[in-house]
Amino acid sequence: MIYLDNAATTFPKPPQVISAMANAQRNLGANPGRSGHSLSIAAAEEMYRCRTAAAKFFNAPGPECVAFTLNCTLALNMVIKSVLNPGDHAVVSCLEHNAVMRPMQAMTGSGVTYTQAQVVPGDNDATVANFRSVLRPETKLIVCTQASNVWGIRVPVERIAALGREYGIPIAVDCAQSAGVVPIDVQDAGFDYLCVAGHKGLYGPMGTGLLISKSGRMPRSIVEGGTGTSSDSLIQPDAMPEQLESGTPNLPGVAGLRAGIEFVSKKGVPAIFSHEMKLVQRLYDGLSRREDVRLYTERPEALHFVPVLSFNVEGLSSEEVGQRLNRMGVAVRPGLHCAPAAHSFMGTLKQGAVRVCPSAFSNINEIDRFILDMMKIRAK
Amino acid sequence: MGKPMILLGSITYAMKSRDLLFQYGIKAYVERTPRTGERLGCGYGIYVPHDADQAQEILARAGIRILGRSERVGAV
Repeated sequence: MIYLDNAATTFPKPPQVISAMANAQRNLGANPGRSGHSLSIAAAEEMYRCRTAAAKFFNAPGPECVAFTLNCTLALNMVIKSVLNPGDHAVVSCLEHNAVMRPMQAMTGSGVTYTQAQVVPGDNDATVANFRSVLRPETKLIVCTQASNVWGIRVPVERIAALGREYGIPIAVDCAQSAGVVPIDVQDAGFDYLCVAGHKGLYGPMGTGLLISKSGRMPRSIVEGGTGTSSDSLIQPDAMPEQLESGTPNLPGVAGLRAGIEFVSKKGVPAIFSHEMKLVQRLYDGLSRREDVRLYTERPEALHFVPVLSFNVEGLSSEEVGQRLNRMGVAVRPGLHCAPAAHSFMGTLKQGAVRVCPSAFSNINEIDRFILDMMKIRAK
Repeated sequence: MGKPMILLGSITYAMKSRDLLFQYGIKAYVERTPRTGERLGCGYGIYVPHDADQAQEILARAGIRILGRSERVGAV
């Protein structure tokens, strides 16, 4: 199979990720940091190694700023639901995933309001001006994707973070599609909260994610429970990361995530980005020669895009194209990609689109084969 | 002779403290906090065989919240 559904989750995983998970399961099988015996502390050391690796990778101030979550969605929920209070207003972009839109919508039931700021692809000045125009005195949070999971459009989150600082408004950045693909420096960029998927561009296993708080603090946790600290108190500890990590953690997953981060660090984010971008540009060029294929963006270039491309075939639904490609041994993602806002933005809410995303393991031959398969798509 | 322990908020801070002190040439070991009449339940700290006072100063300067000190009797 040619796997081009890496925006959903990267596959295959590097061998060292699988080895790290197996090692954790085989040799570090105690509950990390709970029991105080040698195996429990050894398991906690593995967790700490991943925290340290993640802090270094994203230039967070320290390992205590890094909390493990189930995925990026949970990290976003944690920020949105702990930072915002009744009467507060939030700003999101028009390209957000449901991981942002659904919690925001749910918060409206608690007296929170939000506004979608328009992104202008290729014009960062206009995008930032649009964000500025929707800020209000009661705006308490900006939540913004760094890159659209449908169109690959990059949003100038560093500039939006600077805008937020000007008004004293923190920013939470959804980097589900950008972590491991574009360099991210939490301190330099001034991101207050970074929400990360572990199983995409970081090549970790599914069921892993990160919430990084630049200050090393969160107003509160949306989940309470055992943390292995201050057990005599019924009050949830207020110190990260344990504050946000109630319950037994996913140690094999965290071990795999650490190996994934090391894999990406060794290969180099710029090298991965360049490789994947060339593949997407080749795909774009191949598809743009087809009169019956509709592409929705300009040719992706590094400044304004990440390597994600979506398209439609005239006369066929995106689901039909996805199924036909599957029969030809190609894995892509048709439909709405859990991002109706992004589809509404591009006018594809009814038909959806077919999304293609390579990984560090994809190659030119696979892209060329995909382009050839697309020539036969109507016959299948 | 006692076994000087610096008590910290969590195992993450205990490990961070250990790594920080190592950069200053001070050896420290992560251990579970001894249960006392005042401190119930789970907790972690670092055992600092030598230069515990200096270690505490370094940690305080680094902004690490120190919960207290403990001396464990009978340690080697």
